[in-house]
Amino acid sequence: MTKSEQERMNGKKKINNYYDYSLLFLTIFLSCFGMVMIYSTSSYTAQVKFSDPTYFLKKQLVSVILGVIAMLAVSKIDYRILMKKAGRIPFNLVTLAYLMAIILQTYVLFFGKEFNGAKRWISLGPFGTFQPSEFTKVVAIIFVSYIVNKLPRSLNRVSGFIRVMILASPLIFLIVIENLSTALVVSAIVVGICFVASRKKWYYFFFGFLFVGMVVAYIFLGDEFRSVRIDVWRNVETHPLGFQILQGLYAIASGGVFGTGLGESMQKLGFIPESHNDMIFSIICEELGLFGAIAVVLLFVLLIWRLFIISINAPDLFGGLICSGVLIHIAVQVIINVAVVTNSIPSTGIPLPFISYGGTSVAILLAEMGLALSVSNQIRSERI
Amino acid sequence: MARNKTFNRKNLTFLLVIVLVGTLSLMGRLAYLMIFKAEHYGIMAKEIHERERPIKAERGTIYDANGIELANNKPVCTISVIHSQIEEPEKVIEILAKELGLSTETVRKRVEKVSSIERIRSNVDKELADQIREYDLAGVMIDEDYKRYYPYETLASKVIGFTGSDNQGIIGLEVEYDKYLAGIDGTILTLTTARGVEIKNAAEDRVEPVAGNDLYLSLDVNIQKYAEQAAKKVYEAKQAKNVKLIALNPQNGEIYAMVNYPEFNLNDPFTLNTEINVTLSDSEKNNLLNNMWRNGCISDTYEPGSTFKIVTATAALEEKVVKLTDTFNCPGYKIVEDRKIRCHKTAGHGTETFVEGIQNSCNPVFMEVGARVGAENMYKNYKKLGLFQKTGIDVPGEANSITHKLENVKAVELATMSFGQGISITPLQLLVAASAVVNGGTRITPHFGVKIVSADGQYVKKLTYREKSNVITKETSDTMKMLLESVVAEGSGNKAYLPGFRIGGKTATSEKLPRRSNKYISSFIGFAPADDPQIMAIVLIDEPVGIYYGGTIAAPVIADLFSNVLPYMGIEEQYVGEDGATDNQ
Repeated sequence: MTKSEQERMNGKKKINNYYDYSLLFLTIFLSCFGMVMIYSTSSYTAQVKFSDPTYFLKKQLVSVILGVIAMLAVSKIDYRILMKKAGRIPFNLVTLAYLMAIILQTYVLFFGKEFNGAKRWISLGPFGTFQPSEFTKVVAIIFVSYIVNKLPRSLNRVSGFIRVMILASPLIFLIVIENLSTALVVSAIVVGICFVASRKKWYYFFFGFLFVGMVVAYIFLGDEFRSVRIDVWRNVETHPLGFQILQGLYAIASGGVFGTGLGESMQKLGFIPESHNDMIFSIICEELGLFGAIAVVLLFVLLIWRLFIISINAPDLFGGLICSGVLIHIAVQVIINVAVVTNSIPSTGIPLPFISYGGTSVAILLAEMGLALSVSNQIRSERI
Repeated sequence: MARNKTFNRKNLTFLLVIVLVGTLSLMGRLAYLMIFKAEHYGIMAKEIHERERPIKAERGTIYDANGIELANNKPVCTISVIHSQIEEPEKVIEILAKELGLSTETVRKRVEKVSSIERIRSNVDKELADQIREYDLAGVMIDEDYKRYYPYETLASKVIGFTGSDNQGIIGLEVEYDKYLAGIDGTILTLTTARGVEIKNAAEDRVEPVAGNDLYLSLDVNIQKYAEQAAKKVYEAKQAKNVKLIALNPQNGEIYAMVNYPEFNLNDPFTLNTEINVTLSDSEKNNLLNNMWRNGCISDTYEPGSTFKIVTATAALEEKVVKLTDTFNCPGYKIVEDRKIRCHKTAGHGTETFVEGIQNSCNPVFMEVGARVGAENMYKNYKKLGLFQKTGIDVPGEANSITHKLENVKAVELATMSFGQGISITPLQLLVAASAVVNGGTRITPHFGVKIVSADGQYVKKLTYREKSNVITKETSDTMKMLLESVVAEGSGNKAYLPGFRIGGKTATSEKLPRRSNKYISSFIGFAPADDPQIMAIVLIDEPVGIYYGGTIAAPVIADLFSNVLPYMGIEEQYVGEDGATDNQ
């Protein structure tokens, strides 16, 4: 008798719903820590621009509260409801979400609000703005998990993988037009979920190498804008466009081992533009030092570990894949963000989950964590 | 519903390992940046965080021989605006324009310019700056600093020179001794935000300025004043173009006075000292200013004329080609090769001894003597007396002599040079040569700087200058002193005679080039006491109107100067022999 069978039998005997409080705590802690850092980094800019040092903090707080409510609500609902049909609509919820994501992404391409030269936001009037690409990430997770769950063996053949990719491609291609880095994250989620679900893996390595080759080719043959990024990356200290990254490096290096102290950053005083966004990690380094920075990274590792535990203990493939997707999503964003801030890879705009300023991002991430918690809640066992 | 299978877990574990490897390497990268690159980027970051505000070092004072200040500093203010801190731009523009007497447009342009700091005006009087401070305008910064101030205004203007807006020397001694006077500017380092706003309560780094050293000169305010008065008098009386006068100690080269009349006001060096009615273009004005600042005593060469006979006579005595008792005949001219060169006395001096030849300043005598010396020996003596080199004076802009090449000196050239034509030198070069002639044969370096003393008085540097002794013999020197004294006592220089003093000298009237233009430079070189010269002076009157004979108009200038200066220097009148006897009766 395998362990899971044993658990299942135990579960039948004694209904003992598990709930991953560690994950809940980590998530809330990171969001709160994020707000502290957002206040620290944005108060100067907010004072200068809006004469209100808490301007950004307040907006973030609203999103976090909404997100936490959503997370708790989602976590208490069985995730398997997603596969059920919703009332009289002829699709199940996953397909509905999939269609909605496509509609929103299409809408934003035409009617989106431009900010910093990119059309990525839908205006919600007095409720601020909404970034559909964040929603698309969650949709990608549940949609791909759903398809793979339906035909688990199809992934053993390349054709099956390609079929999944084709189905997911509208999500990716609608984002790639305005936001390459988010499209990369979505792709990573989609491929990652497929990878976890596959018994045969050779073609991942084949496509992996192909992808790396294409990236290399792109770097050297790509259009002006991208190759400039490569130049900046390699000559960050001298390239005029390396300003932001270089300022980030100044901040990181200024932090030293113990940091300058919370709120004492010099670089946030306008030297790093919008330091509460993607570059927030550099200010964490400056204010909290190497110890603080590593502590933050370790918190994310812990979060990923909890997701891993939930995923491998998930009651079914769908739940396990959803958790894998969430894990991949967070891991990819953390790694890319920290790598960009430390100039380890060419610059690209990926926010640090839970911490970077961004209402849609944090609210949807929290809801996404609710999904993972919901999976954890369906684990019936006495011990994990 | 599909089951979560073992291979799914394995796959996920594999992904987890990749993620862990990724995060671990990023932590390594972070540690590398924050430990090993901390200094590298830390310094770069500090550079952009800190704004450096210079604190001007106080420039050293220039003192005369008596310890009287010739150049010092007075507190002034620099008024600047910090664009990002201005709250009421219109009010700022209005008040600054009104108080500083600038046009509204000028002020507006600077106030509205987006820069971290913009200077509105420097060298504003402290009282006016205090008045502006009263308004308490946000974004207006008043920095105190020093402005060079010259208490005697025009005194020795072309020698002392003045400084520019950054306190750097522009002409004269202020340039020559700039590195000693300037000091080292300090800085205040303040932390600022990216918009240039200073962060309050941030620790300031302050590097204190080091004040410049003080410079002590041999120039004597009183002698300079006497000299300027004497020069002014003759300048006005003779409506001359300019008057140059130098007085120095022929024993060691210390210059007591150097006058280039008209002088200009050092506190206002960019205003012309002459009335100009036409409007000038910038370049024209610059030319005029440069002319006004020009120190002619060292920058302008001229044909010395008869004063140069000192050199010819010295060469003749050195080469022993003439004895004092040798007789010459002057018919009023001398024929050299095919040229008939006239004496200034057209009727001729008749038969005369060498001594009388000097007293009469007779050209034919000196042409004869020059011919006896010969071109080569003449040039050898010129060289010994320093006529082929700059004097090495410690004021910039010195010119060198213009002479024929030795191989081009034929009989005619030699003859004219013997009485000071066909050779151009600066008055200072002549003074150096004449000093060597009367001081026993030492070629001195004329100079102003005596010593440099650090601001706290702790460190003193005595300035030394090159001297070359025995360029001529003691005997020649003694003979020349006697001869030149007789020029004043009995000869053409008699207008320089002062009862009770032993004065030596030589007159000159040089016709300016081109010849026959009736433009002259009248000059006289004199020294006293003749037996032990303590002061030697030369005066050049450029283009006098009316009588232009050096003996008539230039000699009295030196007499005038000496009559004041000799008693001032503690050289007593001595009535010995017949003079004294008659005066006492």
